[in-house]
Amino acid sequence: MYYPEPISKLIDSFTKLPGIGPKTAVRLAFFVLNMKEDDVLDFAKSLVSAKRELTHCSVCGHITDVDPCSICQDESRDSSIICVVQDPKDVIAMEKMKEFSGRYHVLHGAISPMDGIGPEDINVPGLLSRLKDEAVEELILATNPNIEGEATAMYISRLVKPSGIKTTRIAHGLPMGGDLEYADEVTLSKAMEGRREL
Amino acid sequence: MHIQNLTLTNYRNYDSLQIGFDDKINVIIGENAQGKTNIMESIYVLAFTKSHRTARDKELIQWDKEYAKIEGSIQKRKQKFPLEIQLTSKGKKAKLNHLEQRRLSDYVGALNVVMFAPEDLNLVKGSPQIRRRFIDMEIGQIQPVYIYHLGQYQKILKQRNHLLKQLQRNHSKDRVMLKVLTEQLIEHAVILVERRFGFLQLLRKWAGPIHQGISRGMEQLEIIYHPSTDVSEGQNREKLLNIYYEQFEQMEDKEIERGSTLLGPHRDDLTFFVNGKDVQTYGSQGQQRTTALSLKLAEIELINNEVGEYPVLLLDDVLSELDDFRQSHLLNTIQGKVQTFVSTTSVEGINHETIKQAELFRVSHGEIGC
Repeated sequence: MYYPEPISKLIDSFTKLPGIGPKTAVRLAFFVLNMKEDDVLDFAKSLVSAKRELTHCSVCGHITDVDPCSICQDESRDSSIICVVQDPKDVIAMEKMKEFSGRYHVLHGAISPMDGIGPEDINVPGLLSRLKDEAVEELILATNPNIEGEATAMYISRLVKPSGIKTTRIAHGLPMGGDLEYADEVTLSKAMEGRREL
Repeated sequence: MHIQNLTLTNYRNYDSLQIGFDDKINVIIGENAQGKTNIMESIYVLAFTKSHRTARDKELIQWDKEYAKIEGSIQKRKQKFPLEIQLTSKGKKAKLNHLEQRRLSDYVGALNVVMFAPEDLNLVKGSPQIRRRFIDMEIGQIQPVYIYHLGQYQKILKQRNHLLKQLQRNHSKDRVMLKVLTEQLIEHAVILVERRFGFLQLLRKWAGPIHQGISRGMEQLEIIYHPSTDVSEGQNREKLLNIYYEQFEQMEDKEIERGSTLLGPHRDDLTFFVNGKDVQTYGSQGQQRTTALSLKLAEIELINNEVGEYPVLLLDDVLSELDDFRQSHLLNTIQGKVQTFVSTTSVEGINHETIKQAELFRVSHGEIGC
């Protein structure tokens, strides 16, 4: 009502983004009005191309602009190890570590009957057919350490166990560089459970 | 431990209230519907972040106000710290020493409270749910990590019940997923049951002699845990795990048929026996009341023993319901060592020293005079 139509449409678009409420949306919209036209055009182009040019890799499910993705195409990577994660962001986190040279499989979610998400609704069938076709020796289950992530890991390991492929679960415990005294009891008890001999 | 002062803002019928308390006995006097119980309730909420009367936090906020706030300063051993609960229609915040605590288990336990209210009679004669809530709350305030396991258990239970419904209606055929959720459920069920067994052992130790005292040596109280499975006290974790796995396995088809989880701590119960007879079914009103009182008094001692300090005791409208002997037994027990809040319509007829020395607060229409 108070705003001319183009700007109220822009405000409406901004409120669709996560973490942005009505006030921030107004602030951002007015900021855009004062931006240089070229910057605005670039911005609009990147939004569209991010949506149009990115797809999910047909092998691992990671976001990519070429199919199969660069990780799946990379011959120098060890194809006998697959690390299973919930989200493309998890692949990027893993890649930042620069320690893991195997391949990935992105599930895009976790099993949650409450929300009506079963194994077929996330990328589990894709994983199973990969295990059949590729010579995989180890499956690392790196889903989130919460109830749904844990259940998804347990589920996959039950399905894979009969095939004899080694399945492992990433460790839970204390963050590095932290202080023991600030850790909560639950994390500490997991860390105690996962202790190892020196 | 004790509460030094309490500030209420937009809480139920209090716009704004600030009171300082005596560290021994505080008596809140007022006619019906003036706001006595609201003060008691606010102290309870300050300790547990939830009301004992309602599950809807919104009811605690004064009509047409946006938020409500409860603040209290607590003296615990040599420490003094503030607690704060903020309630809005969107949710609540709990602050311990000015810092917001996101996990319930980091907040609950800072202030220990034992409440004895007319509803507590239901502890003996009411539904199993009330007794489960009783043990869960009490273990939670002495071992906050219990709250975490309970929360995880309830989440898994919800997932599992959803899957069982899907299996029941043939929307899913995934028995593997059911096995996974069963495994997760058992992992937490075992921890809950172990801790409940440990708590009951302590409760019995304290409640037995107390009950004998209140009943002048005439009655013997026994507390029995009724699990929904064949687990029993004294079994080690491995044994408990085996029993759960075996029984869940046997129940699987029936659970799918019913579309719901039929075993586990959420279906366990307690029974109280006086002189060998089940109080819920065969006990008189008086025996039921004595049993509830024994449990509450046992809790006070139990908390003192586990936490190292007496909790705050809230006696909401119950003193006048006890006979002279039980009244003085109760007041003798707390005399001088437990900070107690008593709400009543009148102090006449209570001739105990403790009450004569008490600090009196008169409540009328949401305001307090001394």
